Amino acid sequence: MKRGIKGSRDQAIESGPSGTLSLYPSIPGSLLGRLRHYANAVWAENIKEWKLELTYPLDFLRSLVDPVVYLLPYVFYGIALVGGRFSPNLQKLVGTTDIVSFITIGYVFIGFMNMALWAMGFSLRKEQMYGTLEPVFAAPVPRWVFTMGMSMHSILHQFLMILTQLLFILAVFSLKVNPLGLLPALAMIGVMLIALYGIGMIMASTTLIFKQGWLISEAMGSLLMLVTPIAYPLAVLPVFMQKAALAVPTTYGILAARHFLMGEQMGFSVGTAFLRVAVLCVIWVVCGLVIFAAIDRSTRKSGTLSHY
Amino acid sequence: MNPAATAFVIRAEMAKTIRIYFSYPIIMVYWAIFPVLWVFPFLFQGKALVGSTSSAAFQQMTGSGNYMAFILIGAMVSNFVFSGLWGVGNSLREETYWGTMEYIIASPTHPLIVLIGKTLAEASITTCIVIMQAAIISLLPFGISFTAAKVLPVLLLVVLLMVGFYGFAIAFAGFTLLIKEVHGWVHTLEWVFFLFSPIRYPVQVNPITSFVSVLIPLTWALVAIRGIILLNQHEVGLWKISGILLAMDAALLVAGYYTFVALERKTRRDGTIGMH
Repeated sequence: MKRGIKGSRDQAIESGPSGTLSLYPSIPGSLLGRLRHYANAVWAENIKEWKLELTYPLDFLRSLVDPVVYLLPYVFYGIALVGGRFSPNLQKLVGTTDIVSFITIGYVFIGFMNMALWAMGFSLRKEQMYGTLEPVFAAPVPRWVFTMGMSMHSILHQFLMILTQLLFILAVFSLKVNPLGLLPALAMIGVMLIALYGIGMIMASTTLIFKQGWLISEAMGSLLMLVTPIAYPLAVLPVFMQKAALAVPTTYGILAARHFLMGEQMGFSVGTAFLRVAVLCVIWVVCGLVIFAAIDRSTRKSGTLSHY
Repeated sequence: MNPAATAFVIRAEMAKTIRIYFSYPIIMVYWAIFPVLWVFPFLFQGKALVGSTSSAAFQQMTGSGNYMAFILIGAMVSNFVFSGLWGVGNSLREETYWGTMEYIIASPTHPLIVLIGKTLAEASITTCIVIMQAAIISLLPFGISFTAAKVLPVLLLVVLLMVGFYGFAIAFAGFTLLIKEVHGWVHTLEWVFFLFSPIRYPVQVNPITSFVSVLIPLTWALVAIRGIILLNQHEVGLWKISGILLAMDAALLVAGYYTFVALERKTRRDGTIGMH
């Protein structure tokens, strides 16, 4: 990190008066300068993650094949249940019969959920395992910048994985989608990612308390998988789960993407979907930042940051 | 090392692994509850695609249209396999993270002995977890009941399945010494099992998965266990399948041992044991 931020709670060393020696000689005071400084830190974190990932090239290649391996059991299970590719019951529920396209588009969103739950949620635990958590916390940027860098790397990685998945499904099963729906679907994904960032911040903060963060990520992932309409429509869930699903950003991402790409009936208008995700963005991001700041402060006060 | 000293090391390693496991008691609760929760998306998927809790197409392939019972049994049995993968296959990597790997390698005990201790600890913990899951599942209305007549042959099959599988996990632990970062590989292997053995769907639905599944012991064990629990077929060729599993066990144990020894020797020679 080259520069610090004047006035920030997180900075340990401020710039000295003109002419004196300072660790961070030119600290941006303006909002624009500060944002540029944060953007640099996000980019540096992203690059660090890519470097770490590409240190294990075999593992990187494996991660590109994974999504296909993950998806197929869901598709084959659907085919085994129906005895073919098209389900009349699904047609009754959402107006589309093709279970392969339905499941594939839904499954793509698991990758985005993993971004929030694993890439961000597990990020601090990873730093702890590497023995670099304390240096990261001493860096002159707020912690949310660090997790944003993690999520940036993860989003780029997820897009690579999704591309592999879609290419495979296109080649083997000939995915039937409306190409004109691609742009609005991507717009919805963009908004959804902001809301997921908020969830990721909460997950990251829980690691500071519970240490074994994977457990929280797994548990949360299992619950989100249950209520999110990945391989089934919302209508088949019990009412309380349907209500819970409406608070999850990926629900709108999946429903809207399938609506734009294959004409699934959502049960509400496109405008409503965008509005609700926008509201969820505000709620989750605010909650994420507040919870993270509170837990971060409490962990440092109790001196348990370095506990394992 | 004499047998008494070896037994002492195995016991000490078991005690250490179990103690670490129970340092995070919530993990036990998690493993008892969440694998059961994981099958609910499949129930909802079934309801969405066929509209009921029974599928005619599924019945044609498996002999039972009760797809939930099919999946629940797959989830319980696969627990043994996956806990072995994580607990044994990934165990040496965990020692690296804890900073204790070099001590194990430098100790006068062969790492294989340490792995046996870890394996036995993992098997004991998983057995407790599966018993808890079976208790939960038998209370749910999915048409699964456990009687002594069913449980005993199932136990035999699980033991035969796991002996061979731990051979595979030991080989995998050697692999971790070589390539270090295996967390993702364990996940991939987990999903390869999901894809090529009938844990969550009948593999006959696709000719490739059907062909590959024959090479995996879990497939044979699951077919026999489902026959016993779900279809009440006590004569589903239990001895024939036991014989097949025994042959696979022998092959996997021998291959696992030699693979581990070779990979451990190579890592020592390359001087990369302490690398991260």
